[in-house]
Amino acid sequence: MEGASYARMPRVKIRELKDDYMKFELRDTDASVANALRRVMISEVPTIAIDLVEIEVNSSVLNDEFIAHRLGLIPLTSERAMAMRFSRDCDACDGDGQCEYCSVEFHLRVKCMTDQTLDVTSKDLYSSDHTVVPVDFSGGDPSSVESADGRGIIIVKLRRGQELRLRAIARKGIGKDHAKWSPAATVTFMYEPEIHINEDLMESLSLEEKKEWIDSSPTRVFDIDPVTQQVSVVDAEAYSYDDEVIKKAEAMGKPGLVEITAKQDSFIFTVESTGAVKASQLLLNAIEIVKQKLDAVRLSEDTVEADDQFGELGAHMRGG
Amino acid sequence: MATSKPGSPDDLNLDELRELFNPHIESFDHLIDAGLETIFRSINLKAFSVTHPSTSKKLIITLEKPVLHQPQKSGISSTSRQALYPFECRQAKLTYSGRLSATVCLQYEGDLAIVRESFSFGQFPIMLKSKRCNLKGASPRKLVSLKEEASEMGGYFIVNGFERYIRPIILPKRNYPMSTVRSSFSEKREGYTDKAVVIRCVRADQTSLTVKLYYLRNGSARLGFWMQGREYMLPVGILLKALIDTTDREIYVNLTSCYNEKYEKGKGAVGTQLVGERAKIILDEVRNLSLFTRLQCLQYIGEHFQPVLREFRNESHFTVANAVLKDFILVHLDDNFDKFNLLIFMLQKLFSLIDQTSVPDNPDSLQNQEVLLPGHLITLYLKAKLEEWLEKGKTMLLDEIEKKGEKFNFEDFIQVKRVLVKNHASAVSKAIESMLTSGRLSAHISLDLPQISGYTLQAERLNYLRFLSHFRAVHRGALFAGLRTTTVRKLLPESWGFLCPVHTPDGGPCGLLNHMTRTCRITSFYDSKGNIKDYFKIKLSILNILSDIGMTQSLPKIFLPGPPEVLTVLLDGCIVGFIPSTEVEKVVAHIRKLKVSSAAAIPNDLEVGYVPLSMGGAYPGLYLFTSPSRFVRPVRNISIPSNGDENIELIGPFEQVYMEIRCPDGGDGGRKSPFPATHEEIHPTGMLSVVANLTPWSDHNQSPRNMYQCQMAKQTMAFSSQTIQHRADQKLYHLQTPQSPLVRTSAYTEYNIDEYPSGTNAIVAVLSYTGYDMEDAMILNKSSVERGMFHGQIYQTETIDLAEQGPMAERSSRIFRKGNLDKSSCPSIDSDGLPHVGQMIRPDEPYCSSYNEVTNKTFVFKKKGTEPAYIDYVSVDANKKKHLRKANIRFRYPRNPVIGDKFSSRHGQKGVCSQLWPDIDMPFSGNTGMRPDLIINPHAFPSRMTIAMLLESVAAKGGSLHGKFKDATPFRSSVESGSKSASLVDELGDMLKEKGFNYHGCEVLYSGVYGTELTCEIFIGPVYYQRLRHMVSDKYQVRSTGTVDQVTRQPIKGRKRGGGIRFGEMERDSLLAHGAAYLLHDRLHTGSDYHIADVCSICGSMLSTTFIQAQKLTVREIGGLPPRRAPNKVTCHACQTSKGMETVAMPYIFRYLAAELAAMNIKMTLKLSHGANASDTSV
Repeated sequence: MEGASYARMPRVKIRELKDDYMKFELRDTDASVANALRRVMISEVPTIAIDLVEIEVNSSVLNDEFIAHRLGLIPLTSERAMAMRFSRDCDACDGDGQCEYCSVEFHLRVKCMTDQTLDVTSKDLYSSDHTVVPVDFSGGDPSSVESADGRGIIIVKLRRGQELRLRAIARKGIGKDHAKWSPAATVTFMYEPEIHINEDLMESLSLEEKKEWIDSSPTRVFDIDPVTQQVSVVDAEAYSYDDEVIKKAEAMGKPGLVEITAKQDSFIFTVESTGAVKASQLLLNAIEIVKQKLDAVRLSEDTVEADDQFGELGAHMRGG
Repeated sequence: MATSKPGSPDDLNLDELRELFNPHIESFDHLIDAGLETIFRSINLKAFSVTHPSTSKKLIITLEKPVLHQPQKSGISSTSRQALYPFECRQAKLTYSGRLSATVCLQYEGDLAIVRESFSFGQFPIMLKSKRCNLKGASPRKLVSLKEEASEMGGYFIVNGFERYIRPIILPKRNYPMSTVRSSFSEKREGYTDKAVVIRCVRADQTSLTVKLYYLRNGSARLGFWMQGREYMLPVGILLKALIDTTDREIYVNLTSCYNEKYEKGKGAVGTQLVGERAKIILDEVRNLSLFTRLQCLQYIGEHFQPVLREFRNESHFTVANAVLKDFILVHLDDNFDKFNLLIFMLQKLFSLIDQTSVPDNPDSLQNQEVLLPGHLITLYLKAKLEEWLEKGKTMLLDEIEKKGEKFNFEDFIQVKRVLVKNHASAVSKAIESMLTSGRLSAHISLDLPQISGYTLQAERLNYLRFLSHFRAVHRGALFAGLRTTTVRKLLPESWGFLCPVHTPDGGPCGLLNHMTRTCRITSFYDSKGNIKDYFKIKLSILNILSDIGMTQSLPKIFLPGPPEVLTVLLDGCIVGFIPSTEVEKVVAHIRKLKVSSAAAIPNDLEVGYVPLSMGGAYPGLYLFTSPSRFVRPVRNISIPSNGDENIELIGPFEQVYMEIRCPDGGDGGRKSPFPATHEEIHPTGMLSVVANLTPWSDHNQSPRNMYQCQMAKQTMAFSSQTIQHRADQKLYHLQTPQSPLVRTSAYTEYNIDEYPSGTNAIVAVLSYTGYDMEDAMILNKSSVERGMFHGQIYQTETIDLAEQGPMAERSSRIFRKGNLDKSSCPSIDSDGLPHVGQMIRPDEPYCSSYNEVTNKTFVFKKKGTEPAYIDYVSVDANKKKHLRKANIRFRYPRNPVIGDKFSSRHGQKGVCSQLWPDIDMPFSGNTGMRPDLIINPHAFPSRMTIAMLLESVAAKGGSLHGKFKDATPFRSSVESGSKSASLVDELGDMLKEKGFNYHGCEVLYSGVYGTELTCEIFIGPVYYQRLRHMVSDKYQVRSTGTVDQVTRQPIKGRKRGGGIRFGEMERDSLLAHGAAYLLHDRLHTGSDYHIADVCSICGSMLSTTFIQAQKLTVREIGGLPPRRAPNKVTCHACQTSKGMETVAMPYIFRYLAAELAAMNIKMTLKLSHGANASDTSV
């Protein structure tokens, strides 16, 4: 035990990267780390969302709380969020939550004057800070103005004479407090599967049986070479641990035809962002927050002399 | 699968829905179109006449030309009246009613001159969407512009702003003689047996009279009928003789015609040898009274009934007897000859019942029942009220003659009219209105109805299914609710296809309150084209057809032979002839054919009740019914070849029993021989009610679960109304973001339930996680809830009418105004005394103020309850007055899911939310990353066997992957021909597999807390969940200290008043058993009525102690310390000393006991001592 270090250096390999989608591998670490990353991405990476709505006029068909709730769920671009203050511990405004350091003000003034139904969308929200605006899903494509994405998120529809006028305050928050602050639509990881086909047993199957066995998997994990009639793994990651092929093999009287194990130290992550933060940034922010959290539990330097007491743990906690 | 897209309301196909409400509306339409006329005609036949006591001049008062107007606004100039619309009534708490007027005709006997005077009978409540309703025929778009639901169906009344409907009641089938065995019959009088033949005779104006033919132990029979609250029994022989000119021989032959030695004990023989002897007894009875001729019999009857019938005081016995026969005996028939024949038939049936050649008819079976429809109830109540009015007018006139004497000129129309005007005619409509509000009938005369109260109920709009169910419900009658036996509640096979076996509540009204099936209709006075049926013409054409194909018509002097040779034919309780029993089946088939063909004069809802010959079964005969208010339902007549819907026949419960109807999934009906089916069910789901039809794959569920779902569907907090803005309901539940179910039945689309969806497609994982899902608890995903799942509101309207509230003296001077209130004390009140819309009102906060202009006083209305509310809407009644006096204030309570709220799936699986679990701690799917919205425990399934819920989950998962709604109509597999051999599970499983999911709907989930795989496959998929209206916020009860009872000083009860929950005797027992003495003491004493009493140890009394006002001692106060409490000086009033005063802790109720005893002159003495060495009390 003495001197042996169990510290590992986890590796990340990015496979696919888009603004709101990312797929990466995380290797040489444990499920606890992977899951911590997932949990933090969902619920602890801060974003900005509308938190307080002052309604001046609302003659729409939806009631005030309903509209406020809808406004809250609109994702706002939150690159600034990491640097912003939580309004509860903002010194500038005494926790009032209305100052520039901890809040962004929005205004919405719409009145329908025509006979046509008017859609009030997230585009009608005017922000006091150009860096914090409702997320634009059109991807900057001007031709998509007419499409559903280009028009923004519908808040309410107005008929002739109906009006909506309000002031909204957006604040920094985390998904733990309310789902509207969660930057992640979905974060998931899977254990990388390791698939071993018992070639000898496989060869004892007829072509029909091989095909049948391959088809038993709902996802396309295996395939058969049309020439050599050899069964091979085409996409191991498509395997969803449903055990269908193993059950099938047993049903065919060939237990042990295939052996599938989950690698305990390799994970394939899929991250989908709501658009508030870019998927890549989401990961970086999450790592940052995990680090901050670990820093918080780091032992102070003056416990060095107590090394006798804490031993290896002490060194470890101090970052040794 | 077509889905209704959001768009024009005119796109809605509402025909199916309209059919559901039809029985209510058609019955009321009949009242408008013909019912009023019929009432007037039947009253006029009686002709209310006033005879001047001295001059014996006779004034005849009759009614004619009834007119019911459309609802109009009162006030404003009477020339240009505006239509009154239902939404206005709802908001202003008015009654939706139109003026009822009629002409009163006055005529002196022997005088040709008739004076006609128009009378207004007041504002008559009008059923919505009936022919006099302003909404009649309005398109959905028009309805929306009139602030109604696009799919408003009407069928109810609006009385004082409340929507009330009349619940149909089951009545015995009209005009059908029923063999009855009831023990109470034998207690009537000496010599009576428990057997009788009962017939409920109904006149054209829907009034009815029940007549009973009792069998006497000596072999004779008595006809019992009710007259003015008393039952009279007449020997049947007298009646037979009095009805027509006949001879003893004729009666004898007629009675014994049903017996023939040839068929002694053969199949279908109903008569026995005893019939002849009984006939002799009957005839002897008459002879013993020395009545021989018809005239003598009539004289006899007249003599006996003259004292009872007051209006015939001065008439001859002959007239009286004829009136009795006409108005009280078998009133559905006009002709005495028909009455005679029916009486003979009833006697034969009675004798057959006695001889056990036929069995009694079951009064609890739907076969012998019909329904009392709203319009008909109003018709007969209106008739009673009109008669009452005429009667009262008569007495008023007579009073006037008596009082004024000579001064009152009876022959002057103007003076007579002046008296009649004083008799408030508008009371007639008022009576109808009060009947609708209270549901009580207050008639002086008997209406031959089973109950006098409980006819109307409020049509709750908790959700649309509940609202709709009101109009499909039929009740067995309040009389049976109190009965101890359960026989009336039993589900009988006769009700198949008419009443839903699934949709009945459990508990009190179980089996008594039934719901009509989806396809069940009720016959009305209207034919399929909407014209009023001409029953006379129908009768003639039926008779013609019957005689053409072999019926011998019954004519005087022709003796009706009986079964088994021939079968008697009854048409609506009238004997029209007989058909040889060998011919009957052919005749029946022929009639059925004509019934289905649209060209024939035979109505398509004719009931052909052919009771075949049997060995001691039901009394045979061919019973035809054309009457309204019978149940009917469509089935396919497969003996008639057709390629479309031309062979759809409407059948009734009476005939159904003797028909062979094949049902898909029914096999060969459980018989060994081949099924000789002549008819076929259209679809097996036709046997279920609308609500039961909405349960997906209900054929895969255990049946009680489907019953529970019918209950819970009606308690769901759903999208209740599209016109909440224009309504002022006292309480309204509303689901903020409802969804259309992914898995739905065909009925869902047919009835446009998408207009009023009632739940959310929640992703449900079935696993045991965290333990918070034990015992039907369920875990909700906190983030899902935060994103809006199951969010909802309650709307509550407070109607404040200053002219009707508060002390009488102030009512006229109070107006809404802020008055002299301080601005800061109630910021929510505007200067007009009403709250701002959107304002939050906390409990006990004032929200509205009134100002008394005379006394200058301001009164504030404070918010009751414990929850904060928002002002949703304020509407004022600005009608004609200068100041605002009446306002509706609608509050909105946000009700988002919290721990303790109740939810259920559509399969009777209800549960309570036990935790709002953080999203990150929920298990997640490795492939999709999905976290469930809701977790339920797998133990919910094995014992309940709700397989359909599992199917729904898989189907919804497949459906959402493919972007399709999935059809889940029950019994589909049995209807579709066997081309698709694949089972339902295979079909659903393949859908999943196609998209790379597990065939059985399972997925591998990972623990949200640890990130490790949960080592079992977990069943996960979307299930449509409903939020039920039972919420903790309405139910929680908690109290530490609070109000106590004035007398006992114990905590009060009642949640509303902040009371506690009783810690009762059984609770006490359990604490005693545990030996938890300290806790017991705490609950029953310290936490309750703890009291320290002063007791005089000298005399032992605790009542004779008095306080002496402590003298003001000049004690210097020490800075900072509280002033020393002056010790209370207590003395004993009896002993005149304060020496022996002690303080004793006791429950206050003990002191109360001492005081109560003292009031009875019993003194209670306490003996005080320290320690446990003495006994404590003695009396």
